Amino acid sequence: MVYVHGVEAMHDVLVIGAGCAGMRAAIEAHDAGANVGVISKLHPTRSHSGAAEGGINAALGNAAEDSPEKHAFDTVKGSDYIGDQDAIEIFTAEAPDDIYQLEHWGAVFSRNDQGKLAQRPFGAAGSPRTVYAADITGHVLIQVLYEQLQKRMVLGADRMKVYEEYFAWQLVINDGRCTGVVCWDLVRGGLKLITGKSVILATGGAGRIFRTTTNAYACTGDGMAMALRAGLPLKDMEFMQFHPTTLYPSGILLTEGCRGEGAYLINSNGERFMAKYAPNAMELASRDVVSRSETTEIEEGRGEKGCVFLDMRHLGAEKILTRLPGSRELAMTYAGVDPIYEPVPVRPGAHYHMGGIDADNDGKTAIDGLYAAGEVACISVHGANRLGGNSLMETIVFGRRSGRHAAEWALSSAGNGGRAPASVLTDAERELDKILSVQSGERPWQIRQDIGESMLENFGVFRRGEKMEAEVGILEGLRERFDKGVHVEDKGGVFNTDLTSAIELGYVLDLAQCMVQAGVARKESRGAHARPYDYPTRDDENFMHHSISTWNHEANAPVLSTKDVRVTKWEPMERKY
Amino acid sequence: MKVALKIWRYDSSTGQRALKEYEIDAPEEATLLDCLDIVKDKRDGSLSYRKSCRMMICGSCGMRMDGAAVLACKTGMYDIAQAGKIPVISAMGNLPIVKDLVVDMASFWEKMRSVEPWLQPGLDAATGKENIVSQAQMATVHKESLCINCGCCVSECNSLESDPDFTGPAALAKAMRFVGDPRDGNAIERLEKLSGQHGIWDCTRCYFCQERCPKGVDPRDAIAKLGAEAMKFGIDSDMGARHAKWFVTSARTTGWLRETELVPKTQGIVKSIKETKFALDLARKGKVPPPFPPHVAKNQKEARLLYKLVKEQGVSGAAGIVQAEKALGRIEFVKEAEHAKHEGASK
Repeated sequence: MVYVHGVEAMHDVLVIGAGCAGMRAAIEAHDAGANVGVISKLHPTRSHSGAAEGGINAALGNAAEDSPEKHAFDTVKGSDYIGDQDAIEIFTAEAPDDIYQLEHWGAVFSRNDQGKLAQRPFGAAGSPRTVYAADITGHVLIQVLYEQLQKRMVLGADRMKVYEEYFAWQLVINDGRCTGVVCWDLVRGGLKLITGKSVILATGGAGRIFRTTTNAYACTGDGMAMALRAGLPLKDMEFMQFHPTTLYPSGILLTEGCRGEGAYLINSNGERFMAKYAPNAMELASRDVVSRSETTEIEEGRGEKGCVFLDMRHLGAEKILTRLPGSRELAMTYAGVDPIYEPVPVRPGAHYHMGGIDADNDGKTAIDGLYAAGEVACISVHGANRLGGNSLMETIVFGRRSGRHAAEWALSSAGNGGRAPASVLTDAERELDKILSVQSGERPWQIRQDIGESMLENFGVFRRGEKMEAEVGILEGLRERFDKGVHVEDKGGVFNTDLTSAIELGYVLDLAQCMVQAGVARKESRGAHARPYDYPTRDDENFMHHSISTWNHEANAPVLSTKDVRVTKWEPMERKY
Repeated sequence: MKVALKIWRYDSSTGQRALKEYEIDAPEEATLLDCLDIVKDKRDGSLSYRKSCRMMICGSCGMRMDGAAVLACKTGMYDIAQAGKIPVISAMGNLPIVKDLVVDMASFWEKMRSVEPWLQPGLDAATGKENIVSQAQMATVHKESLCINCGCCVSECNSLESDPDFTGPAALAKAMRFVGDPRDGNAIERLEKLSGQHGIWDCTRCYFCQERCPKGVDPRDAIAKLGAEAMKFGIDSDMGARHAKWFVTSARTTGWLRETELVPKTQGIVKSIKETKFALDLARKGKVPPPFPPHVAKNQKEARLLYKLVKEQGVSGAAGIVQAEKALGRIEFVKEAEHAKHEGASK
């Protein structure tokens, strides 16, 4: 079979992934004068950023007095003190102007009575600073960014090219520098080599490692896994955020905005149980705190079918229909419950991965010419626990910064050259043929399901030493099954998602192993990593550091080390809400 | 539960189509998308379809079930399976098929780009603060901003079927999203372009787009809003615009549509004379009433009062349409709220 179509393009900046971070990076790189290519396995507007609901945080002070400094403190505290404070200060200081720019580009945000951008309260925030568009904020941002991308596609001469439905498979590293990516053209079939002087990874998260997740099918950690295999360190992999309100049984998200607008969490006795766990913040405590409280209620028998309830009845029809119409539709479609009349069964579900590719404040990684932005990256703004509304903001601030930096580097003398050897394509072709030559054996779905089930069971909201140890063994067994060669039934070139989902399964498996290894080693409770049974408290003396995972190709397994946290002005304190 | 599906498969390498039936076990809450996943995992890995968010926001999984466009992730299968039905699943219409349920969306996006879908220099672009715009003003484009680009409306569009160059419901709804945005400074240029060939007046008003849109964008209403905005700015030289205007004049004066006068008012005298034979044929078959004596509605007064009432409101263009929609929505809303109160009291 001939899959090689040769080098197809050459760009100054190549962006992989076209959600909020990827599109923002592409726009900035273009405006900095670069010729930009964007590769995405989905059409850009289908990216999972579009599913973000509640909002985007910036200290505009439109609803109450606020400042970037307060926003920074809330974020540092929320991170359980392993967010890097210099990054957080940049983040909160630059956020307001980025919001104004999105508004000038045409984002359809909700307004307050004065016609300014409305801001709503969100979890663990000292002031109502979440800018929103009803409960479809991510959708509105994806649309406005794609509008700006299209503007540059149409008017920007030939300096913006989007490769829609190209599945990125292997990063090309040449002389210690990243110069492109080998990808699979989903629509036409065939391996393609797309090259750039610099490359930005913006491929999003990896929620699909867990069975119950708010994440789309596409969220399989592709960028993280590609980077890991290319020799890059991943950071803080053990920190997976469980969102407190996901629908039963699908795991579909109901926004924190519901609680921001005043919804209660109740147990099967009808009690507002958050009074016991976070008497001041109640339902608006930090996400890790709320998810743990719910899990305790459920484990102690005050749940129903493994769920507690999100009660919006007292908000009234008008508020629900104007501020939370999308959430109501989701509850009605996927749980058969109308929140105007009935409480909605919810439970924690894997939602956001705080960890990712270790990157600096400009998105730069340890490999020359390679950048990372958005959920795929770990800068780290979120530390051990992300605040609601901070992730969309991160995609914009750090998407912009990495786009700018990658363009400047590519256009400078340092960025000269950067060609990719054609041999990478023949190597990839050989590997592909090996995958497609498997004619029988296990189909990928069973392994995918086993990873999701076991990770949820052994690496969920509460983590026990022995269960995590057991998960190490389970994942090794799953790797053995996977490495035997899974059976891809579709051998064709056109829209072969059977092939791409088998490759994604490999990504998921690599990352799950990194997560569990880092989790076993972190013998404390911090943020989303909770070990109430053996290490119930935070241990700053021994564990106030980042976990670093790299891949050992000989052992075919991850290796763990640590890295210091950057502290500017906030010393660790006890975290109470 | 047992679910049976018939799926139109399409093999792009041979160009062959075949209708294949699959029977699977699925959980009761399964959607059509969940069922396709089961088919792909356990029956035939070569089945192709798009998917991603499975929560009605990414717009990937538009397809047809029994000939009508749906989002697979929004379509519950329980009732269908319980009724023993075997639905036929096929790719969306009006777009070329790539493989099985996957269509080529290139023309969809080209048309989208043809309406220049980005905010054109709006108000105070460089103030360093947000533009001040009221929520009520933004409500004019609320429904249009819900569009997830799934293509269900385009799939069902009858005008597109007869004129593949028609701009189409999705792109026109997107255009309205900018024409109605108070921050956009190019409404008139946009409306002039949209009033040309293949534009807003080529819509046949079959309302299929509205019926099948899974997100309540109501593309046909968006096209009506564009028409109303065009009229407001005096962009009414298109035959379609003149046609619409005559409907209003006719209804206001006699309470009825006067078909005989409609043709000359819309097409002009010369063209109408050429249509005389056709008109006489129609009259002979009883398809049009005789022009004399003029046809006057019994409740003509009521029609005039309605017209006066609308005029007095002083809200024209798209805002007028939105006001009416809101008025209707409000009624529904109060009913819901009362119902909720009643429910609460009885508990």
